[in-house]
Amino acid sequence: MVNSRLLGWINARFPWREFAKRHLTHYEAPKNFNFWYYFGSFSLLVLLNQIVTGIWLTMEYTPTADAAFSSIQHIMRDVHYGWLIRFMHTTGASAFFVVVYLHMYRALIYGSYKAPRELLWLIGMLIYITLLLEAFTGYVLPWGQMSFWGANVITSFASAIPWVGKYIVVWLRGDFNVSGVTLHRFFSLHVTAVPLVLLGLVFIHLVALHYVGSNNPDGVDVKHQKNQTIAFHPYYTLKDLAGAVVFLVVFASVLFFAPKMGGFFLEPDNFTPANPMKTPEHIAPVWYMTPFYAILRAVPDKFFGLLTMASAIALMFVLPWLDKSSVRSIRYKGMYSKIAIAVFVICFIGLGYLGVQPVSPLRSFLAQVYSIGYFAFFLLMPFYSRYEKTQILPEHLTE
Amino acid sequence: MMKAILLGIAILLSGNIFAEEQAIALAKANVDLSDKKSIKRGAKLFGTVCIACHTLVYMQYDPIAKEAGITLERMPLQVKKWPLDVKPPDLSLETDVRGADWVYTYLHSFYIDKSRPTGANNLLLPNSAMSYILASYQGVQMPAPDLKASRGIYDHALQWYDVLELQSQGSMTPAQYDGMVGDVVNFLAYSAEPYHEKQKHLGVWVLGFLFVLFIFTYLLKKEYWRDIRKDR
Repeated sequence: MVNSRLLGWINARFPWREFAKRHLTHYEAPKNFNFWYYFGSFSLLVLLNQIVTGIWLTMEYTPTADAAFSSIQHIMRDVHYGWLIRFMHTTGASAFFVVVYLHMYRALIYGSYKAPRELLWLIGMLIYITLLLEAFTGYVLPWGQMSFWGANVITSFASAIPWVGKYIVVWLRGDFNVSGVTLHRFFSLHVTAVPLVLLGLVFIHLVALHYVGSNNPDGVDVKHQKNQTIAFHPYYTLKDLAGAVVFLVVFASVLFFAPKMGGFFLEPDNFTPANPMKTPEHIAPVWYMTPFYAILRAVPDKFFGLLTMASAIALMFVLPWLDKSSVRSIRYKGMYSKIAIAVFVICFIGLGYLGVQPVSPLRSFLAQVYSIGYFAFFLLMPFYSRYEKTQILPEHLTE
Repeated sequence: MMKAILLGIAILLSGNIFAEEQAIALAKANVDLSDKKSIKRGAKLFGTVCIACHTLVYMQYDPIAKEAGITLERMPLQVKKWPLDVKPPDLSLETDVRGADWVYTYLHSFYIDKSRPTGANNLLLPNSAMSYILASYQGVQMPAPDLKASRGIYDHALQWYDVLELQSQGSMTPAQYDGMVGDVVNFLAYSAEPYHEKQKHLGVWVLGFLFVLFIFTYLLKKEYWRDIRKDR
């Protein structure tokens, strides 16, 4: 066979066989992965979608203040299937956060961040931060009103840093105000610097995962246990493939029939070209940033608001050291942990909802309550996870 | 800079991205982008009336727009001085920005207001710089005098026709005028997303393909996973 001779030739010069064995055919994964375990591979799929569509968008997009807005319309109207490529990219941006949030939730409920996977979790958190940065720089590129004023507000956050803040703002913008210079550098960051970091982080996330092995819904150690694991390929590659098709059905439904998602994925104000002389009545971030934004405005003081928002994200980083439980999975944790996760989910979704709503006294109060709930989940974890009564771990996987 | 960030946060705090407070409720525009005839009628009106002041630059290569005489040469791109110093906006994306219902209601809610330089005003966009150019079709509307007295009988939010009443009919009956405005809004909705029909059509095929693909991928997965079930 020509094929096997070619593979033999390559394998004598490049460790392709070893690579495939280590990461696919001999990568042993627990056999009881459930619904929550799809979202890691889905995020890889969305990442691929973003890169490919991004390459094509870059071919026609013009990153200057004069031409950016109209070049998007050029893509939507004059480029063959340009609308499709752009909607794949904009829908992909929101889909990325949907799958990443669900992926993170999985880690949260099954304790996938606990030893020996702390570093895996930290790399994952870095991916999340990088993704936020990528989303923000990308959102500026259409150069609509929301792009401009969003960039204005978010870069001005840096001015809250004492003494050097105002210099940092100018340094970030490359100008005294958000301008074409800012747009051009955000374009550079969005299409080269940040994606390179993202790809590097995703790579080491996978290296770390395959070194420590996957966790599972029971949170019990399965390494070196007979009949507890199966080869990633073909079992999980095929399962993920079928899952990916279901994901694509949902993705295509949004892409073809509701790409604006009623203003959540593409905001009405961003269909007006950027105008530095005219501030829009309402500026709000895209939905995936609203939980943190709601925390920011729940605090009356500007500086402490930003500090609170930053600590809300920082606390996620230290999660592995806050959880003192003897078990990983929510299935065997005690009542306190179960209540805590329920409270956390309610607070996070509640904050996300409040972040897109206008402020009213009741909503401000609710945002404060939810923020306290959010912080309590993390800050009280060392206590409730240590002192609750956990259930006895099974010796084998339960399903 | 401190002021700028305070302003920024103040703007953030004011935040509803969707609904603006309206003086009146929006009427439903019934946009139908598969109705080519309506879109063409709307294009024709745009090419004869609206184009006097409004540009539609992103439609410069569109066949329907071209057929209706909406070309770059005929758009008022060179005009330097506009009445009241307000440049009429480009309308290519107007229904994305404001929504089709808004445009439909806006074109219905002009009324005579002698205090304005244009001699007219608008319920949706108070002190709009746009003149009452549509009066020749719609006729002249005035605020209804007995609105306050009759307010109690309305169980729905106020519509433009609750607040305004027709003083004298123009060249069209109210029903004809509704139809014409509907056509224009339909055309503007088409201008905002000329790919819409293609998008819907392709979407059906893609979903169909994915459903078929799912059957095969699912059966393949099931076939392989049978070995594992046996182990248990």
